[in-house]
Amino acid sequence: MQSKHSEPAAILFLLPAGIIYVSAILFPIAYSLYLSLFTGSGINNWEFCGMQNYVKLLQDKVFLLSLRNSVIWMMLTLVFTTSFSLLLALILNRRFFGRTFFRGLFYFPTVIAMIAVAIIWRWIYHPNLGFINQFSKAVGLNFSQTWLSNPKSSLIACFVAAQWTAVGQPMILFLAGLQGISEDVIEAARIDGAKGLKLFFSITIPLLKNTFVVVLSTLMIGALKIFDIIVGLTDGGPNNASQVIASYMYSQTFEYSHWGYGASIACFMVLIMLIIIVPYVSFMARDT
Amino acid sequence: MKCSGKTLAFKILLYAGLILQASIWIAPVFTLLATSLKSKKDFYSGLGLFNMPSHIAWENYMAVLKKGNMLSYMKNDAIICLLKVPLGIFLEAMAAFSLTRLRLRHRTGIFIFFIIGMMLPMQVALVPISIVYKKLNLFNTYFGLFYVYVAFGLSFGIMVLRGFFISIPRELDEAAYIDGCSKMQVFTKIILPVSKPAIATLVISDFLATWNEYMLASIIITKDEMKTIPTGILNFVGQYSTDYGGLCAGVLISLLPVLTVYLVFQKYFVAGMAGAIKQ
Repeated sequence: MQSKHSEPAAILFLLPAGIIYVSAILFPIAYSLYLSLFTGSGINNWEFCGMQNYVKLLQDKVFLLSLRNSVIWMMLTLVFTTSFSLLLALILNRRFFGRTFFRGLFYFPTVIAMIAVAIIWRWIYHPNLGFINQFSKAVGLNFSQTWLSNPKSSLIACFVAAQWTAVGQPMILFLAGLQGISEDVIEAARIDGAKGLKLFFSITIPLLKNTFVVVLSTLMIGALKIFDIIVGLTDGGPNNASQVIASYMYSQTFEYSHWGYGASIACFMVLIMLIIIVPYVSFMARDT
Repeated sequence: MKCSGKTLAFKILLYAGLILQASIWIAPVFTLLATSLKSKKDFYSGLGLFNMPSHIAWENYMAVLKKGNMLSYMKNDAIICLLKVPLGIFLEAMAAFSLTRLRLRHRTGIFIFFIIGMMLPMQVALVPISIVYKKLNLFNTYFGLFYVYVAFGLSFGIMVLRGFFISIPRELDEAAYIDGCSKMQVFTKIILPVSKPAIATLVISDFLATWNEYMLASIIITKDEMKTIPTGILNFVGQYSTDYGGLCAGVLISLLPVLTVYLVFQKYFVAGMAGAIKQ
């Protein structure tokens, strides 16, 4: 229902949130966009350079590598995190002894700060004292190696560590979605002869459509924002092998003091995000 | 009915899978705990992770509490949360009240305008915030951190509360207006009390997001005595890089507040997170 005029109270109630939102979110975005046209750092020493930062960006090997890593991370998230958390939700939606305990257990890492997760998993991967290498020694299979300092495995090692906290949230969302499906629908499909996988793919999955939209979009957005876990585990190393766009932006800005260049990376991130956000927001803003 | 042999085999497989995953899920905490209870002597003698320590080294915990700044990090984090969570939710509720219950032009447009912020990367605010905060001397202040945390929480809070407010029957407010309530009274005496479930959800998710935030804190806070847990813990790890027992004890201590909150309010976590996307 849309109104012709706003009453003063409506504006007054919106004002505090609006002022903070504009000053701390929208203004910085506009300001970043503006600064991305300059080279420089700190408060002064800014020099206008037009689109140079963006030209440099597209030729920057490390940036392209980190973009590639972010895309790999997103793909892995969409395939692995989604299916794993859906599988867990399907199992934990059954009635069996200990169900509440397992739900609570699989969800608990979600409450731990990502940076602490990274520090904990540094220990899991520790070359001498870590769980994995100690475990491989204890069972007599020698698969131990330096997981984080090997450029071939560092990104995947970060991804695996992130799964510890990443599956809890989508698992709960899928559980809520599954509980929203009425028993009658499933029963009716059973009577019509649908069984096992067929029942799952032609009844359960379509009925979870709304949940899928929410889970997939939040996971994609989360994947592009991934930062703490990389910084805490590898800091993008070795030799940028596990660098992602968010960590590259941060290191360019605050370690190398390329503020203008950092701003252009941030703006590029916004651009990529918008591709995912626009369909998602229009979905969430439906009036019902 | 299926034959019981098949069901039994399925049950065994189910529990085997669950127990395997549960062990993987517990392994990180086990590693921390086992390492934190070993003394320096045990490490020098090359004691493995799965061996019992020669004695249970509680002194690691005492040393961390005495020497480290862990308690000061917790205090700072608690102050920020106590400021940010209630105030942020109050402002979000006011905006959601306006969006759902008052006469407002372009309400859908304004709502979309507010929730876009939820998806934007915080990176985009880093350079401008660094510049502006330097000019306004807001580095290393509670207010500096509080302000951006409130801002970045608005979108999610408004989305959740708007969703909830829409479902409250209008008759409630109309009756209150007839009784002579002002808009502010309807908001604080009718809508807010009715919305306790949604507010409980937000308190928890807001608390977690604020308590655990790292990136903005790492830019805005540089002084050790002002650090919150996520930034402090990294500092701590740097200082304890050779004292493995102390390091793991410190990390475990830093997790205690959030794990306690989780154990006590577990019910709300799960119900709330699911309710947040109710359609």
